[in-house]
Amino acid sequence: MTGAVRLQVSELGKRFGGVVAVKNMSFDLRAGEIVGLIGPNGSGKSTVMSLIMGLTRANSGAIRLDGVDIAGWPAHRIARAGVSIVFQHSRPLQRQTVLENVKLALLPDSLLRLATGASAAERARAIAEQVGLGGVLQRHPWTLPFADLRRMELAKAVARDPKVVLIDEPFAGLTAGEIKVFSDLIRTLRDEGRAVLLVDHSVKSVAALADRVIAMYLGERIAEGSADEVMQNETVRRVYIGGKIENVERKTAAAADRSTNLLDIDNVEVFYGKATALDRVSLHVQQDEFVSIVGLNGAGKTTLFNAISGLVPFRGAIRFSGQDLKTLTAAQIARAGVVQCPETRELFGHMSVRENLELGGGHLSNDERQRQLAWVFDLFPILEQRQAQAARTLSGGEQQMLALGRALMMQPKLLVLDEPTLGLAPVILGLLSKAIERLRKEHSLTLLLAEQNVTFALPHSDRVYVLDHGRITWHGDPARFAEEMSTGYL
Amino acid sequence: MTFLRSRLFWIAAVVVVIAALLPFWLSAYLLGILTAAYYFGVFAMAWDLLFGFAGEVNFGPTFLIGLGAYTAAILNANYGLPIPVCVIAGAFAAVVGGILLAVPALRLRGPYFGLVTLVAVLLLQNFVVIFAGVTGGEIGMTVPDVLSIDADVNYWYALAFLVLCAVLLFGLSRSAVGLILEASGQDAVGAAALGFNVTKHKIAAFCVSALFSGTAGAMLIFYMGTASVNTVVDVAIAVQIIIAAVLGGRRTILGAALGAVFLIVANEFLRPLGQLNTFVVSAVALAVILFFPEGLLGYALHRSERE
Amino acid sequence: MRAVQILVDGFAISSLYGLAAVGFTLIFGVSGVLNLAHGGIMVVAAIIGWAAAGEFGLGTYAGTLIGVIAGLIMAYATYLVVVRPIQRSRAIRPEETEIFVLTGTLLWGIMIQVGMAYLFSDNPVTMRPLIAGVVNIFGVRTPTNEILIAVIAWAVIGLLWLLVNRTRTGKALLGASMNPRGVTLLGYELTQLYLIAWTIYGILAGTAGVLLASFLGVSTTNAGQLTASAFSIVVLGGLGSVSGSLIAAYVVGYLETMTAYLIAPTLRPIPSLILLVLVVYVRPQGLLGRR
Repeated sequence: MTGAVRLQVSELGKRFGGVVAVKNMSFDLRAGEIVGLIGPNGSGKSTVMSLIMGLTRANSGAIRLDGVDIAGWPAHRIARAGVSIVFQHSRPLQRQTVLENVKLALLPDSLLRLATGASAAERARAIAEQVGLGGVLQRHPWTLPFADLRRMELAKAVARDPKVVLIDEPFAGLTAGEIKVFSDLIRTLRDEGRAVLLVDHSVKSVAALADRVIAMYLGERIAEGSADEVMQNETVRRVYIGGKIENVERKTAAAADRSTNLLDIDNVEVFYGKATALDRVSLHVQQDEFVSIVGLNGAGKTTLFNAISGLVPFRGAIRFSGQDLKTLTAAQIARAGVVQCPETRELFGHMSVRENLELGGGHLSNDERQRQLAWVFDLFPILEQRQAQAARTLSGGEQQMLALGRALMMQPKLLVLDEPTLGLAPVILGLLSKAIERLRKEHSLTLLLAEQNVTFALPHSDRVYVLDHGRITWHGDPARFAEEMSTGYL
Repeated sequence: MTFLRSRLFWIAAVVVVIAALLPFWLSAYLLGILTAAYYFGVFAMAWDLLFGFAGEVNFGPTFLIGLGAYTAAILNANYGLPIPVCVIAGAFAAVVGGILLAVPALRLRGPYFGLVTLVAVLLLQNFVVIFAGVTGGEIGMTVPDVLSIDADVNYWYALAFLVLCAVLLFGLSRSAVGLILEASGQDAVGAAALGFNVTKHKIAAFCVSALFSGTAGAMLIFYMGTASVNTVVDVAIAVQIIIAAVLGGRRTILGAALGAVFLIVANEFLRPLGQLNTFVVSAVALAVILFFPEGLLGYALHRSERE
Repeated sequence: MRAVQILVDGFAISSLYGLAAVGFTLIFGVSGVLNLAHGGIMVVAAIIGWAAAGEFGLGTYAGTLIGVIAGLIMAYATYLVVVRPIQRSRAIRPEETEIFVLTGTLLWGIMIQVGMAYLFSDNPVTMRPLIAGVVNIFGVRTPTNEILIAVIAWAVIGLLWLLVNRTRTGKALLGASMNPRGVTLLGYELTQLYLIAWTIYGILAGTAGVLLASFLGVSTTNAGQLTASAFSIVVLGGLGSVSGSLIAAYVVGYLETMTAYLIAPTLRPIPSLILLVLVVYVRPQGLLGRR
């Protein structure tokens, strides 16, 4: 079954500016095994893959392929040495046919070769048929369905008989049936004696396939073992769900006007190219409510929020206070009171903290803006301390507070918060949690929160939706969630 | 694909045969225009190889052309070397120039690379003017040898040259190397992940482009009998080349040649407008960019593909 | 003697270059566009201003104003006819938009140049000085106008600084240059901000063009040269950095002036070209650039 160690990653480290993406990462990959590398956004798993493939250069550590240190080699050299990668997003050559795309993978890196050779065409055909593309060899990529494009990426990756295959988010965008077919293809790779590394954000999706799972968080390895072991691991659960889901005693909120919804999302669909990102999602938020949408990476939370904010086209209807948001531009939606604090924060890095906040209050009168600013400083004292500093010099937690503060400067009627806890240390989560608590108590604020970290989301929420692969799969109040979902969630 | 190629092949063959027979019907003046147009066609095709395939915008193809042209001219006028030697020397000079330009410049991102190519032309222009003693400065220089004094013969030389270059460049674009080049241009990271040294291939593309540009530049000198900044170095010429390739359709090679011929002939017909002909041509090119970014031939090929 | 002359002339020309370069950088920072029709816009402002002042007899002051407005209109035309349609075109792949905009503005610039030459001939035009008279600076007789030009240039730059750093709109523009999505989420319409950016640019380029006509004279053949100079300065200073452009403007301005005085006037543009090549190879982000 599992054979010799093919790939040995030792003490790998990578920094992007001030951000540590990967820290002291070590693991082995053996021939004939499938290893799942999992972690949430920002965990460093994709960076590890880029480092192995030579698409980025490591700051420290070694990557040994059959004993030879390939860290620092250019990507094409690593590819020729026997490592190949299936990218998360398909990248076909649009002007070439499927056969030509696969043939390309078989070509030597030579300046002088003019003819591709009959044997190359034969091999290309065989490989394409192996992955199930036999019927579409002469077609162009833009005519193919999504799953076939993924097959083509796989074909390209295995064309040159690689020793190590890296696959990024293997099942993203695929239907249940297609996932099964792909899993079989990946199993075949393992059975052929190759070393396969799957990178994904969800343990569940790779559980059935992986022989071994390694979990990452904030650039480090936090757990390793079989899929079950990792799913039960305390640290992993804390990181993903935020810990034990407790049944929180909740005071029922004072009766508010519940007759009309503040936000109404009705059968919304979003497509990225051919992939379905949101599949007939419906939900609603009432005045003064705190609604959470929980789900893992790739579930579609950010896509949903981008649809609400008018940043992405969608089918279906989204209404705010009865007004159809499709008739407004993104900036108008923000001015109407639907303010998003995005996952990526979108701060103005070279501007000071104060300037960032003041821009948020740009639509208010000078007096109002000063008052609002004072209020935000009271909520987040650290921002007042650092008000003259450039935003990009702040720590992750401080940047999140700034992003939140800036959104609050706009006096939102509906605050849409996308994954505020992403990549933050637990101590900051406490601060954020308290801040949100205060917001709710002192001001009438309606909140729509998207989170992976269920422990953070639940205590404040009036209602919870679960979003999985673009669909709402569960809806109810937090108490029921603790009962019904805590085991099945991860 | 193969079908299209054979249809394309037959159409091209017919066009070439007709072109070869034109001297029996057209005046020497019109033949002269077409002769210049054919050399221009080679300039445009060489540019398309670099841009359409390797994905690099060269705002100064006349740097390579000018190097080839002036090297050949100087060797012939000042040292009396025979035409074939001068042409080869010109091609060589262009390739060397191309490498010197490409190797450091390819490390730069899109607009910066284009910028450097533009500056290269401006520098060459200024150097030609400074060293007027050798190059004839702004007025230009004459060369003692010419390919022929007969308009028909010059025309056939040009046509043969164009056809040869077209066959070579088109063949290259359809070859395995061409496929790798396309991949490098469309998706450098993807190509690297498949094991291709993208930089190596782009530099090679630059050299091939330089080879054809330089040779054509040298040949043009020996057709016209003169070399001047206005005909082979000026930025205006560079722009015309780019317009020709874009008009005809990027990534088709043959489209570039068509665009060039169309452009030169159009310029001729617009001559009565005086200065405004540049205006009209630029306006047409702008319109093509805005409405038909695929170019005319590119658009036609695409349409037939979708059917 | 000569030194003082170089100092003074260099200062004046550098101030003008600075004015034009700041506009160029602003458009790049906010709109992402390297406008190769830049020189053309300056030339239009200069020639229309001259025509209004002289041919149509409206006098120097009115002529100057009209020239600036002409520059503004040309800037709008560049944005609305060339840049925006290309940026919005669905037929062009997003990675290629930059290159198409570059080529489009290049063509547009040529159209402007040839069009103006057709309408007004390519003879150099000079605006009559706004203030007559001569001042004595360390023994060098300098036209008062030259001093005024430098003053005006700096006044405009100062106004721009105030606008960007002290007004809401200015801050929003700055924000847009850093993070377009960020300003949208804060409720600012990007389309409006872009129009404002091009308005500012039009005024800057127009003023620079008209003042240049009053100082050295301008002809349609200068268009390419002016664009190249602006390019050199902005790349040297760092694309997107206004202060970098100003510093670089003085470096280039003085280099050119020294070349013109000490070597030969015809070789004026060469040092900046060589400098540009060096910068692009050695430090592509320029002195203070952040992109």
